[in-house]
Parts: sequence; C-alpha cells; structure tokens
Amino acid sequence: MGAGSDPGGVSRRGFLRGVAGGTAAVAVASVLPAGCAPAYPDRRADGRTLEVLTPKEYAVARAAAEAMLVDVPVSPDDVAGSIDAELALVGEPIVTDMKTVLSLMEHGPLLSFRRKRFTALTPADRREVLEDWAKSRYNLRRAAFQALKGFIVFFAYIDDSTRSLTGFDGAWPERFELPAYDVDFGGIA
Amino acid sequence: MIIQGAGRTDTVRERADVVVVGTGSGGGTLAAYLAERGWDVVMVEKGGFYRAEDFSQREEDAMADFNGRRGLDATVDNAVFLNYAEAVGGCTVHYWGDSFRTPTDRLARWRSEHGLDWMIESELDPHWESIEHELGIHITPERLFNENNRLVREGCEKLGIEGHAPPTARVDCIGCGWTQFGCSYNRKTSQLITTIPRVSKAGGRIYSDARVMKLLMAGGRVTGVEAALVDRATKSATGSLRVDAPIVVLAGGALGTADILLRNLSDDVVGRRFYINPHYFVWADFGREIDNVTGVPCAYVVHGFRHVQRDSRGDYAGGGYIMLSNHQSPAIAGVMLNGIGAAHTDRMKRYRQLGSVMSVIDEEHPGRVFLGRDGVRRTEFTVKGVDQLKAVDYLKNASRIFLAAGASEVWIPDVFGTTVRSESDIARIGVRSVQPNAQFCAGSHLMGTAPMGTDPADSFAGPTGEAHRVRGLYVADGAALPGSVSVDPSLTIMGVARHIAARLHERRGRAGA
Repeated sequence: MGAGSDPGGVSRRGFLRGVAGGTAAVAVASVLPAGCAPAYPDRRADGRTLEVLTPKEYAVARAAAEAMLVDVPVSPDDVAGSIDAELALVGEPIVTDMKTVLSLMEHGPLLSFRRKRFTALTPADRREVLEDWAKSRYNLRRAAFQALKGFIVFFAYIDDSTRSLTGFDGAWPERFELPAYDVDFGGIA
Repeated sequence: MIIQGAGRTDTVRERADVVVVGTGSGGGTLAAYLAERGWDVVMVEKGGFYRAEDFSQREEDAMADFNGRRGLDATVDNAVFLNYAEAVGGCTVHYWGDSFRTPTDRLARWRSEHGLDWMIESELDPHWESIEHELGIHITPERLFNENNRLVREGCEKLGIEGHAPPTARVDCIGCGWTQFGCSYNRKTSQLITTIPRVSKAGGRIYSDARVMKLLMAGGRVTGVEAALVDRATKSATGSLRVDAPIVVLAGGALGTADILLRNLSDDVVGRRFYINPHYFVWADFGREIDNVTGVPCAYVVHGFRHVQRDSRGDYAGGGYIMLSNHQSPAIAGVMLNGIGAAHTDRMKRYRQLGSVMSVIDEEHPGRVFLGRDGVRRTEFTVKGVDQLKAVDYLKNASRIFLAAGASEVWIPDVFGTTVRSESDIARIGVRSVQPNAQFCAGSHLMGTAPMGTDPADSFAGPTGEAHRVRGLYVADGAALPGSVSVDPSLTIMGVARHIAARLHERRGRAGA
C-alpha cells in the first residue's frame, strides 16, 4: 500500500463519523421520542438565508456558542452565522466534518442520561456535555469538541466588540498611517 | 511581470527554460538565481498576489486570504492544526523571519543517513552568505524585544538555560507586532518583496492564482505543467495555463508539492514522511499588563534543550526541542487557551497580562500525506512515543522559565486546566496533556514529503534535487528536506534551493560549452 492511497477508509470524514459511536448511533437517537425533529429556525437571526448549514445545524452551532461564550459581548446568532458563511467558502473536507460534528453534538445527549437533544438543554447543561466531550477518553469526541470550540471562539473574538474585554487595541494599520517602503514589482497585469 | 490569473477565462500558453511551481523560500530563491543568470523563467503560484496595502493585519483577513484552506486545515483527526501560506511569496509572507542556518549536527546526519555529501558548511556557507546579504538578515536588535521576550530571557538567565536573539529577515522593522499576517510596511524581507521582483525584472513571468493540475511527460521526462487559473475567493477554475519547459521545479511546500506528485505519479515515497515540528503553546499570567503584542513575536529563542539527553541506559532523559517566545492575536489566542464558559472568558480578560512560548519539537515519528478516496489531500500526524516525552519535557521547562521570570501562574492549555504555581505542580504534568486533541497543537514547519537522498527506495529525488524516476523534474522546497531541521527551516530551504539552482546552471553551462 503506497503512502498516496487511503488505507481502510481512514479519511478525515470517516474518522470524525466515528465520534460517539458514529452515524448509526445518531440514526438511532434521531428516532427516539425526544429525538423527533423539533422546529428549527429556517434562517439566520439576521434574516439572511443559510448558505451551507441546515436549520438544525445552525441551531446547534448557535446553542454551542451560547453555552461556550459567557459574558462575551457577541451574539451567538452572529457567531453561528459567521460559521455558516465561512463554510460556504472553505469547501471540503472541512464542510462535511463540521456538519458531522454538529449532527453528533445534537444527538449525542439523547444517548446519555439526559435524553434530550443538545439544543433542548439549558446552557449550563450544554456546557457539561461539552466538558464531557473535551475530557473524553475517546480522541474522536475530543476532536469534535476542539473543532467546534475552535470555530466558535475564533468567530467570536474577531469581533471588534470583544476588544473591551481583552484590552486589545487593534492592529497597527487601523490606528496609524505609516507608509510602506516602495517595491518595484517590474510590472503587474 | 506579475500576471494575476484570478478571473481570467482564457487559455494561456507559455514556453520557458524552467517552470518553477511555488514562489516561497525555495521557489523564489531558485528562480531569482536562474533568472538573473539568463534563464527564461516562469513561476506558477496557487495563491493570490497580495501586497503591503492588502495586509490589514486582521487575523480573519489573513487566514482567509493567504493561509492554506483559509487557515482551517488540520490532520484527519483534527489533532494538529496545519499553518502554511498560499500566496505569491509563499510561507515567507506570514513567517516570523527567523533565519537559522542548518545546525551542523543535522547536516552530518543527512550526509550519513541519506548520502547527501554536499550538505556541508563549505558548500552551503557561500549560499547562505549571499542570501543573508540579500535579505538583510541580522541578529534581532534589542529594540524589537517586547516584554514577553524579555521575560523569557530573564527566566532563562536565572535558570542558566541557553538562549539567543535569532537572526531575522527584516530591514528597518517598526515592530508593529503582526508580521504573521503579512508585513504592511515592506520591512520584513519576504520572498514577496525580494526575489519575486528580481525574477520579474529579469524577464520572468510570475502567474498567481494558478493551481498546477498536471505534470506533462514524454519519454520518461517532464516537459511542462498544466494549471487551472482560479477565482481567488472560491478557488474554482475559470481559465487555464500551460507552460512547456524542459525543467520543472516543484517548490509548492511540503503539502503543495506532495499534492501535485500524488496526483501525477505513482511513487510510494511521496508523502510517506511528513515532518511538522509540533508546536505546543504555554501561557503565563504575570498579574499585570505586559507588552505582549509589539516588537517581533520571537526576539528570543531558547536553545538549551535542542539536543536529546539520554540516561546511562540510553533511555530518553530530556530535550529534543527549542522554544520560541510567542504572541498571538486575540481570536487565535482564544482558540488556544483552554476551557469554555466563564473560565475561558476570565482567561481572555487577562489577554494583555499573558506571556507565551511555543515549542519546536524535533520529532522522530513523522506523519504522512495522502489522497482520500474523494481525491482530496489529507494528512495524518500523531505526536507519539518519545515525541510525547519531548512535549511533556517542554511543558515542564517552559513552566519553570515563566515561574523564574515572575509569573503568578502558568497555564498548560489542556482540557484538564492544568495550572502551575510551583515545582510540585510541574511534577503533575504528564502525557495525558499531549494526547491528541487534549490541547491545541500546530505545525508550521512542514517538511520531508518528497525527500532527497541516494536510495530510490527511501527518497524521491537524488542529491541534485532531480527525481529518481522522472528526468527534468526537480524538488526544491521543504518537501525535499530528508527530515526535520530542528529549527525554523526557511533558511535551510533557501540554501538548498540555491545550491540546486547553482548546480543546474553549472550543468547548463557545461552542456552549452
């Protein structure tokens, strides 16, 4: 087997699909009574149409942002919307991975003592679920947690409104007018 | 001439003496050498052409514009974030400018283990001297030290640990602090503003937004490349470019070069060794505001642990890494810092109080690069075995340095919230902290996916950089290195590329004589 092939389907997508028992577990969970589809909003809070995420996936991203970001001056709706917009540009394999993570996160608690979807939990209970996944003995659950946290925290803290929290005073080009040295590129077309 | 491919819908044909794929440390250096000696050079770059005025130094802009996969690439299990650039100038657009010559012991290893006899100072020093002169490389001056850098140095001095200000590639740096998002002032001497303009002015054509899809071959030798001209935002193909040339040099970085080779050749060596120099980040709260965002991110390098120490039985006893003082923008720091909810918010409130270092682990277990069944390039890398021990040793020694420098507490940003306030806390740091996805880990020194060597079973290219199995096809970037450099590899890549260029030019001279 050469290094250039994909042995045994250990692909990024396949790997993450093993999180929390994989898609089979999600399929089972999604038909449990508490797992029947509730009404998810079909658009972003700002009224814009979702580009990549389904209403359910958007709701999970929003619920996770609400749980992770405590006293951070950004809207969970905006964070979830930014994730949707980013996924529309970044392409595969990241889109499929993140959609898988969001689906697993929504249905994972159904298989635990909580017996509720992630979006149906209180923010405090969602944090407990997230902490459980962060410290799980399964790398796959930790991977899902880190992926979700990475997206949420990044899109929260690029918002200038968080500067009052961090004390960051912004990049220099925003604050000072300093000329760049000239560079002769010898022609640009 | 820089020719931006973005938005072009036509079919472009070019003919040249050499086509260079990639415009970073390797490609830029090699192309400038040849172009200024009369070669007709075409360069093909997958990423866009951005200049100082395009660099807002906002993290989201930089990641989306010129970081590979919009700054979101990771290994298949999400355990290692891969940081690399796709833009004219390659990774030098966002690198910190640290410019180390290859350590003597590493050259010796590559000579003995891979038969690369020319990898010796007497051969490479003249190339490095020229590059250092051209890029204005000098020891980082004291005025570019921010307080974080000074605190790391202070901690090392108190503990008797060796460290130095690194050689840096910049001229008249104003110390804005955000070189990793592209230099807005043209003071960092990246390939973008040094070798690329030289190639252009020597008659070379540099195509941006051109993704090489196909190596053209005939009779066992390469005859050129075909590329798609792509939309800069969506990366979808709009036009095409064909370059016919008897020599093709791949210099698209360890991932870009491997991607092209995996799609075009069947060679088990390609992608089999993937080195990244794993970076773990340690944070220290000094309980007061410190300047941690100006100057240069790394004005001080901790060298005292570069060599592996072994006990009397030959077992690992420490070392195998260097540390770089480090600072990160708020959103990226937020991703790295551990915790969620109020605990994470509290850490972010202390952002301006934080010192930080990062590791450059000299790993012994490489990962690999491969194509998935869907044809998308993927990577695997796991910090394991002795490399885990190195990472733990680094976390402990970084903690000691910050405590010695006066930190009130040190954060190992793992999911367990490991906090260090004393030596007894340090004893509790273990391998669980460096298991995959237990904390943020990154790799930005990507190497080794199409290595040089004398054995075709263990290397893709021979000592000249030419592929063992395809005449006229060369590799001259991080992919060509046979292993980890153990320090920032940019100057190593430049030196190797210039050596390859010099030998190419020498052979053409002989052929023409």
